[in-house]
Amino acid sequence: MPENSDNTVGMDPPGGRFDFRECRKIIMATGKKARNLAELAELIGQVSANSIYHHTYEYFFSGHIVEYTNDFAQWVGGTLEARVLSENLSNIDPFRHTASLESLREELLGSISRYMKKYGDPGSVLPGEEFHFEESVTVVFPAGFRALNLAEFLMAIRAVDQQSIYYHFYEGRSRVKGGMDDFSKWVEDTLGNKELALDIRSIDPFMHSIEGIRTHIATFIENALKKEIEVG
Amino acid sequence: MLSQYRGIAPKGQLELLKILGGKLSGRSLLHINSTKAGGGVAELLHRILPIMTGMGIEARWEVIEGDNRFFDITKKIHNALQGNPEKFTGEMWAYHFEVNKRNARNIDLDAEFVFIHDPQPAPLIKFKKNGNGHWIWRCHIDMSSPQQDVSGRIMDYASGYEAAIFSVAKFAMLLPIPEFIVLPSIDPLSDKNRELTPDEIGEVARKFDIPPDRPMVLQVSRFDRFKDPIGVIKAYRMVKKYNDCILVLAGSPAKDDPEGEEVLSEVQNFAEGDPDIRILLLPPFSDKEINALQRLAAIVLQKSLREGFGLTVSEAMWKGKPVIGGAVGGIPHQIVHGVNGFLVYSEEGAAFRIRQFLNNSDMLTRMGEAAREYVRNNFLITRQVGDYLSICVGVENAGKAVIEIS
Repeated sequence: MPENSDNTVGMDPPGGRFDFRECRKIIMATGKKARNLAELAELIGQVSANSIYHHTYEYFFSGHIVEYTNDFAQWVGGTLEARVLSENLSNIDPFRHTASLESLREELLGSISRYMKKYGDPGSVLPGEEFHFEESVTVVFPAGFRALNLAEFLMAIRAVDQQSIYYHFYEGRSRVKGGMDDFSKWVEDTLGNKELALDIRSIDPFMHSIEGIRTHIATFIENALKKEIEVG
Repeated sequence: MLSQYRGIAPKGQLELLKILGGKLSGRSLLHINSTKAGGGVAELLHRILPIMTGMGIEARWEVIEGDNRFFDITKKIHNALQGNPEKFTGEMWAYHFEVNKRNARNIDLDAEFVFIHDPQPAPLIKFKKNGNGHWIWRCHIDMSSPQQDVSGRIMDYASGYEAAIFSVAKFAMLLPIPEFIVLPSIDPLSDKNRELTPDEIGEVARKFDIPPDRPMVLQVSRFDRFKDPIGVIKAYRMVKKYNDCILVLAGSPAKDDPEGEEVLSEVQNFAEGDPDIRILLLPPFSDKEINALQRLAAIVLQKSLREGFGLTVSEAMWKGKPVIGGAVGGIPHQIVHGVNGFLVYSEEGAAFRIRQFLNNSDMLTRMGEAAREYVRNNFLITRQVGDYLSICVGVENAGKAVIEIS
């Protein structure tokens, strides 16, 4: 779980090249598990901010189907089969809560509470199908690529691991004040290409796999490069 | 050693290992388990030791020694922790401790990082000298519904460690120490997973009379009711009403498991009269044959009703095959439903997904490619070694949510 800062990770030195980094998540079990919605809500209220972060922001770290947007929604929809609530939970945007995970926790609890008032508790899952609360430790390290200009940036975007795309595109939003990803911030601040930065920011983080994000960013950079080299 | 994985494992995993190697080079790391041969733990240690030493880490692997009485007790502990009731006496626990005490005198326990694997050598923590290294208990077994008195004893030992590692969150027990989750992995360079030449594959196809022009549905597993071989045959029969295919059930005969022979005979009887069902009894260490069969298959099943982690799923996915798996144990960690395979809950579900693949070669190819990439990113041994070494760095930086290394 990153701490907010003013620095875009990747820019080293600030205003200079983009050093790609990536991260690994070392998952930790908390031993807490929920069998039904009441227990899920109770534990969402109790677990650490790290656990809330892990089950929401870090959902994008693993290959996921673009149906749910966090672990809670996936369990509620896929295991508990409470479809309405899973749609409600999937509509919660964690990136609107980067200033405070407590407000994200409140929104999750509010959504579950409203559902239970209206529809009641859908019951408990079978043993083995419980929701297990986890936390994570993030290990951040250089990805082995750097870019000095847009062409190099394109080559690197195509070559880096998915975990590097995740780190800069998703996790950057919770690290950098303003909720921006590292890529678009560097493109704007260092290369001065606001149009490309806006293009990158227009990619909906919820609607693509990481490979989809990579493809979109690469296409936008290609278009920007074409414009740079076109004559007349 | 690491260079052998270049071009196979993701670059980032190798970069991380290079950096961790720089940080931990020259430092001592000790693994202790209860056997050098047989079983997944020994297989894993055989493969990760050379990687760690190749990174400059002074890694050692020691094995505790015991007599038949000791291993009878530890087998019972293992069974009870997995939820199969066993009876224990105070004497048995005393002997378990005593044998560990004897081993503690004979094994050099001095290392900066000590990984104790599974319950057999868990009492060794009692012989750790004060301030002597970071001791981590690595539990490979499913502790989700253990016999309470047995898990209580093991928890007493485990609580003395600095941290514990489990394979999946739901396998973990509630301990007062940090509990890390490290998913298992496969080695892409092992005989079971390495690339095979067309000649090697052809040889296995000829040996088992696998026709080259008909799609093969495969399940590789022990003949065990929890692997549901009868359910697989029923699913295959539903498919055959619509599509042509052959079914191969491949597994090793379990000579030491009377139930295994019983299940095998049930399966043979149930399949009798259908020349398109092949039941292959492979001798132990048939890694190359299994590798080739997975490559020959069009679709791979792991229709388990109960499962540990089920790494055969990742093995098949690594060969570019989308797997249709039961949604149990560690299988949902490997199959992202609808992306790189399908999770199923019934024979009908399995049959439906087989038909879907047989009728849609584009989907089969696309999901097979996704399966291979998913394993590349998540289930190769390079990731697991990175996890272990990151945990070493993690225990030295206890309490930090983010660790930056370069």
